[in-house]
Amino acid sequence: MAQVQNRLRPFFENITFDRDDNELVLNFGPQHPSAHGQLRLMLHLQQEQIVKAHPDVGYLHRGMEKMAENMIYNEFMPTTDRMDYIASSSNNYGFALAVEKLIGLEVPRRAKVIRMLLLEINRLMSHLFWLATTALDIGAMTVFLFAFREREYLMDIIEGYCGARLTHAAIRIGGVPLDIQDSFLHQLRVFLNKLPQNIKDYEDLLDSNRIWLMRMEEVGVIPTEMALSWGCTGPMLRASGVAWDIRKEEPYELYDEVEFNVPYSDKGDNFARYRIYMEEMRESAKILYQCIDMYDECVKNGETELMAHAPKYISAPKLDIMTQNYSLMQHFVLVTQGMRPPVGEVYVATESPKGELGYYINSQGGPYPYRLKLRAPSFWHTGILTDLLPGHYIPDVVSIIGTTNIVFGEVDR
Amino acid sequence: MRAYKPKDDLQAKAYYTDRYYVAPQVPKSAVEDDEIFAADLEAIKAKFEVKEAYIQVEQMVIYINAHDIYGVLELMRDELEYTQLSEMSAIDWLAKDDTFEIFYQMLSMTKRKRIRVKYFIKNGQAVDSVEKLFRSADWSEREMFDMFGIEANGHPFMKRILMPYDWQGYPLRKSYPLQGDEFAAWYEVDKIYGKEARDIIGPEIRDTATVDRYDSERFARLGFEVPKGTKITGNEERNPQEYQEEGGVFLIKKYTKESSKVIDDPQR
Amino acid sequence: MAQHKVNYTQDGGLPVALTSIDKVVNWGRSNSLWALTYGLACCGIEMMAAGASRYDFDRYGTIFRASPRQSDLMIVAGTLTKKHAEFIKRLYDQMTEPRWVISMGSCANTGGMFNTYATVQGVDRIIPVDLYLPGCAPRPETLQYGVMLLQKKIRANKAGNAQKPKRLM
Repeated sequence: MAQVQNRLRPFFENITFDRDDNELVLNFGPQHPSAHGQLRLMLHLQQEQIVKAHPDVGYLHRGMEKMAENMIYNEFMPTTDRMDYIASSSNNYGFALAVEKLIGLEVPRRAKVIRMLLLEINRLMSHLFWLATTALDIGAMTVFLFAFREREYLMDIIEGYCGARLTHAAIRIGGVPLDIQDSFLHQLRVFLNKLPQNIKDYEDLLDSNRIWLMRMEEVGVIPTEMALSWGCTGPMLRASGVAWDIRKEEPYELYDEVEFNVPYSDKGDNFARYRIYMEEMRESAKILYQCIDMYDECVKNGETELMAHAPKYISAPKLDIMTQNYSLMQHFVLVTQGMRPPVGEVYVATESPKGELGYYINSQGGPYPYRLKLRAPSFWHTGILTDLLPGHYIPDVVSIIGTTNIVFGEVDR
Repeated sequence: MRAYKPKDDLQAKAYYTDRYYVAPQVPKSAVEDDEIFAADLEAIKAKFEVKEAYIQVEQMVIYINAHDIYGVLELMRDELEYTQLSEMSAIDWLAKDDTFEIFYQMLSMTKRKRIRVKYFIKNGQAVDSVEKLFRSADWSEREMFDMFGIEANGHPFMKRILMPYDWQGYPLRKSYPLQGDEFAAWYEVDKIYGKEARDIIGPEIRDTATVDRYDSERFARLGFEVPKGTKITGNEERNPQEYQEEGGVFLIKKYTKESSKVIDDPQR
Repeated sequence: MAQHKVNYTQDGGLPVALTSIDKVVNWGRSNSLWALTYGLACCGIEMMAAGASRYDFDRYGTIFRASPRQSDLMIVAGTLTKKHAEFIKRLYDQMTEPRWVISMGSCANTGGMFNTYATVQGVDRIIPVDLYLPGCAPRPETLQYGVMLLQKKIRANKAGNAQKPKRLM
């Protein structure tokens, strides 16, 4: 076959390099090793200083909102995994909670405890991953290897629960599909007992590291007004002086029963964000210890239910499906046609590791959502780069992108 | 007979609905039930026309006029402490009455309350940009333009954000098919190789159930590999793949299962 | 300090191995597969995990490089969207011959679960692929197995002959 030359023209054809104002235009991405995904930045430079930044996203836009409109509710659950793929269960949970609020379901207590265990494990996984990649970008290879080692242990626990390492789909609408496996709590305890020492190891490597401090302190300062105006949430907002954690302020599940602190800082720079991630890992560990106790209590009280009882929306337990005719019929209808939530709309926000993860669902009474909008925190954390980067120097770009903790699965959806 | 499919609404539809099925409603309650919401609504009503207001799933929903949006959000931000615009987007009602419904999800951190401000616009009408009030609207309005084709007046950079600049069509409209139109199907081939390459590369395989086990050009059946292009009869010999060739590899120690060590304690 | 002692009385007496050019070249090529970091989505995380502490990719000689000019292997890990398609072609063209491509995960193989307007239905519509890894996302073990099979494929080549440049068309 004759070889056909490809038609690609240089992508910089629309950019004027020969400029009067002495500005240099630098293209960064979309496939850059330290961009945490497919971020493309067009940076206007004056010498080494950035005067204008133009983030370009959409290189991972996969049409999830369109998919949601063409899928029954349970079918969409595995797709949510691929949004923030560092912490899949938190996405599953946000969607499940939104649909439960729409239907008006109450989840059994044991399922709630298991959900909280999964959510906090996911938060730890996400923060460890953040630490690993950011440290790698700044040049601290050791921390990368250490943090990935710990993350693998958490993945083992999750894998024992749901069979997947990365894309869990471990939470169902109305509860959780399974009880945790026998070794879950033991493995978790072993991990948590080691965690304080591990976190101390990372801090020993980083906190007094001159390079780390120079690239983190007083770099990428986000004032409170800017953070609020850009819709920043999660650690990004807490580092800018607003102690806003949805787990605390609008508690869902059993977060009002556990005791934990919300770390915040009024510095707003990269280092503040780094400190908040480290403190949040400690808080997560604290929550997990309490969840373990709560789970033991559930076992003691003989609470065995894992799924809510709502035959119109949720399939009966497997035993009932296999033995009772009516349950089997319900299950068949729910699997083939899907549940039909009531007409109405709901917006539910949960605190994912990155920030406020919201699901807006508009239901018209059919088995498919009429409109589903995913409010992903990283989208705005990428947008803020427009205002944040000008005034900084080129090496700061990498550390700022690192501490914003953006994941492109959820920026572009 | 082929089933009739409306062109203006290509969303998946339930293939069967009981003819007597009446969908229930998510309960709405009056705004007066909640003191904070009632006070907020009073403050908004004093200056702007509010068409409808109710509380649904712990959040207040208000419907206003399209031209009031900037004023309402400014009032909410400056006087009612709704300091964050969490989300905004549109809902496509083109098939029903040729309108879009726009919603703004507001959050007050001091009151711990959320309000959804909504209004309708006609197809082709532009909305007022609130980018001056909330910088987050910069990107959401661009996303709305990208997905629905709704322009925002006064926006500094009204261009596509998620799709490429040279994309055609607005993906989240109900009239846009899930798997893309003709333009989308050939987008990358046309761009990289040119239109004449379409015949060589061939159309996309969109049927997820496609499994061609007689295809030895592209995929191989694991354990039953045959040379490329061989005609597959179904009686292939089992041909297990080893990591290394039988005769050993130059300078590399031969891997044997017996000499490997299995780590069964993950905590070690 | 460790002392390196060579026993000259064994194996023909000298630290010399006799072999053919083919074997030497293929040994070098197959055991220093430097991979271009092409983490596009979820699979990219598993690719990183394969390179990190537990799965330690370095022992295969597979080191991730950030530049296409320095790499022999492109591991396309994740969903390729239509907006990104031109860049993968551009980067693939920048890699030096001989070059290999592993398509990692369902999305890169066939589009996977994202059967939508925005995704390319298989990276083999853009660039030629040597190895397809199934899974969503494939485990790091799968990627390691894939690399080992690719090494085997490279060893089967004749190094003396010029590599036939792979073209999609």
